[in-house]
Amino acid sequence: MKLWLAVVHIILVATNIWVTAHFHEELPEDNEFAEFEDFEEEKPAQTINDRSTEHLKESNNNNQDFEEEDVLIVDGDSEFDHFQDEEEFEGLDAAGGNAGPKSDEPSTLTITKIPLHLRARWDSFYLEILMIIGLLVYFINYVAGRSKNAHISEMWLMEHKQLLMDNFSLVGDTGKSTEDMSENGLVKESQSHYSLYCSGRVGCDSMLIELKLIKRQDLVAVLAQLVRPQNDQAHIRVELAKDETDNFVLAIATKRTAMHLVRDMADISVYCPEKRLGEKFGLPSGFYVMSEIAEAASAILDTRVLQAFSKFSPYIDYIYISDQFSGPKQQEDTTQLTMPEVKRVLLVGLNISIKGRITNAEGQEKLKLLLQLTFYLLDKLRRFKLSKEGKSKADKNRLRVEEAFLKTTHAARAEAAAQRREERRRAEKERMLQEEDPDKQRKWEEKEQRRLAKKRAPRMKQLKVKAL
Amino acid sequence: MNSSSDPRRPEREVRYKPSVSSSQAQPGDNSTPDYMNILGMIFSMCGLMMRLKWCAWVALYCSCISFANSKVTDDAKQILSSFMLSISAVVMSYLQNPQPMTPPWASAIQ
Repeated sequence: MKLWLAVVHIILVATNIWVTAHFHEELPEDNEFAEFEDFEEEKPAQTINDRSTEHLKESNNNNQDFEEEDVLIVDGDSEFDHFQDEEEFEGLDAAGGNAGPKSDEPSTLTITKIPLHLRARWDSFYLEILMIIGLLVYFINYVAGRSKNAHISEMWLMEHKQLLMDNFSLVGDTGKSTEDMSENGLVKESQSHYSLYCSGRVGCDSMLIELKLIKRQDLVAVLAQLVRPQNDQAHIRVELAKDETDNFVLAIATKRTAMHLVRDMADISVYCPEKRLGEKFGLPSGFYVMSEIAEAASAILDTRVLQAFSKFSPYIDYIYISDQFSGPKQQEDTTQLTMPEVKRVLLVGLNISIKGRITNAEGQEKLKLLLQLTFYLLDKLRRFKLSKEGKSKADKNRLRVEEAFLKTTHAARAEAAAQRREERRRAEKERMLQEEDPDKQRKWEEKEQRRLAKKRAPRMKQLKVKAL
Repeated sequence: MNSSSDPRRPEREVRYKPSVSSSQAQPGDNSTPDYMNILGMIFSMCGLMMRLKWCAWVALYCSCISFANSKVTDDAKQILSSFMLSISAVVMSYLQNPQPMTPPWASAIQ
């Protein structure tokens, strides 16, 4: 259905371009300018003809009977006598009334001056028609894509609801009061983005599953899908309980995602910017491992996880464990004075569909197993404890990062503190100026002067020392 | 693995806060509707001011894309105003000059 719509759109655009090119090639042949040129060529010939017929008729009428009169008129005293002479215009009325050069000219101009729209045919509006058809196709695709995405998300929820119910006491919270929870619990963020919130499980505070589907409702995205196929994805974000897991950062991701993570994520780019090939850890090819502490990586990637990776490698996008998760890197220019707030998270990205093809029942079963893998990892993280060396290394790394942060922001923080002090003083001064009691004002002024003198005093002393 | 004991803990429930998802939203993730909104506005203005019909049509397409990509929580007024502006650009340009549109590349072909 999608493909069909896309193909129709492409054909429409192609015909548009083709027709435009050919329309303008043909145009000079039958447009109004061509007609105008014809008339211009004809006109002198026509006027000559008119004049000759006029003369001919005149001569035919007059040459026999009124030869003498004709001569008389020419030689007559009165210049305008011929106007009174009815016979003078006999021939003229017959010939000039129909095809006089003066009456002929406006009639030709009127033809050329007919505005285009008065005789416009529908086929001259072909571009507009194409535009409207394009809009219609877009809206049909919108409705179809929207319902398809809604269907996919509902199917996903139906498949996984039981598993989620077994693991969480609260499934599908929408943040509203419990009376409103008549829906299935999926929160629709946009036409291609659904999320499901679960909470109430041992070892974690909450789990947010975000279904980021292909933007099937947007025709542009559907066409882009033909060029660069993407997958429907589920991003699982588990917020781990505090003090239940050890400190380390570890990410296992496919090549493309790994690149993004290293570049954009604050914690990975600081703690483990080095990408290692997954084969070294027994992972299938195409996966990269970014690990802060080696022992954590080898402990998390146990046989069970490795087995899951080798079995379901196309369905796994990334697994990302961090105790310092603060989201994407902040922009360089935003000078923050405090360390960004960090969370302990376990993030898992799964591909629900490969290149937009909806997976069959077997695929759904695999996805269910992968959700179980997430719970397995969650429980494993709770049980896993770093060795003494590992722990000290992790702590050292965190301390080092904090020191580096404090160092870079030292100047900014000092400036901010000075600004705050100045602000306080100014507010106090303002208050004193508005004070009506002069005695109080005087007192404050004295105090202020004393303070300023005190501030200046050491400098004076220093000067004295220098003078000595 | 979890069948041995029930992992559910009703006492540890944390209610959903919509900010959780928005804080996670990556920059550049939801920028399409914003960009399309701005583009649509620029094209509508071009269509209105310079009487370029194709600009007005492109503006209409931009607002459609913006509408399709918008979030549910987004302001509906913004989408509506974008649609209104682009439709008015189309209507005004055809009221002023009801001739069929000449595409921008027509002059290059001729």
